[in-house]
Amino acid sequence: MADLLKFSIPGKPEYVGVVRLAVSSAANCAGFSMEAIEDIKVAVSEACTNVVLHGTTEENCYEVECKIEKDKLIILVTDLCGGYDTEKYLEPCLDKPKEGGLGIFIIRALMDEVDILSKLGEGTKIQMVKYLL
Amino acid sequence: MMSLQIVSSFDEENDHWKIELSGEIDISTAKIFRETLEKVYQEKQKDISLYFDQLTYIDSTGLGVIIGAYGKMKEKNNRIQILNPKQNIKKLLTITSLDQILL
Repeated sequence: MADLLKFSIPGKPEYVGVVRLAVSSAANCAGFSMEAIEDIKVAVSEACTNVVLHGTTEENCYEVECKIEKDKLIILVTDLCGGYDTEKYLEPCLDKPKEGGLGIFIIRALMDEVDILSKLGEGTKIQMVKYLL
Repeated sequence: MMSLQIVSSFDEENDHWKIELSGEIDISTAKIFRETLEKVYQEKQKDISLYFDQLTYIDSTGLGVIIGAYGKMKEKNNRIQILNPKQNIKKLLTITSLDQILL
């Protein structure tokens, strides 16, 4: 049986750190190494930052779910911010470093599986999986 | 706990800004970080050294601030660099290839 933890967070910058702590703690419970906990913490924080930066109003909440399974941790970050066109996402380029666009790139680098599902007019779900070695 | 402390001073001997950071740079503290960099650089257009010894966390918004400063400073032939990052931050710099321009 998987354990499911659910959080609902107002879209304010100051609460991203709260999610970071909560998810680190859940990853610790799930038995991940210090380095893996750090990866999970950074990835989830980036996903939340994206929500807060792009769209959500401070009154609106977004949701973070952590599913602790025997061999993996699945994290789902869901917002209702209207979505975006994932086809238009450009990977950052070192020759011309720019300020935005790093978040998704970092998430993909740190997690084992990443799925982004965005529905224009509705919102975005980012599902991230990290396997216990 | 989740705040950011910044101590800036101009090092006359080495002719650069020394900025010591402790705590966390994320979406809630990136603005004050950006304002500090802009303020010191406006005061004196010299190289900037960011001392990361006591910094425990930085995210893409914090890295974005540094990239922004890097671009503006490069036009004027000034350099911004990161010194003594912790292992977790070094990993992030490597993943993003920013180590090649900032370390």
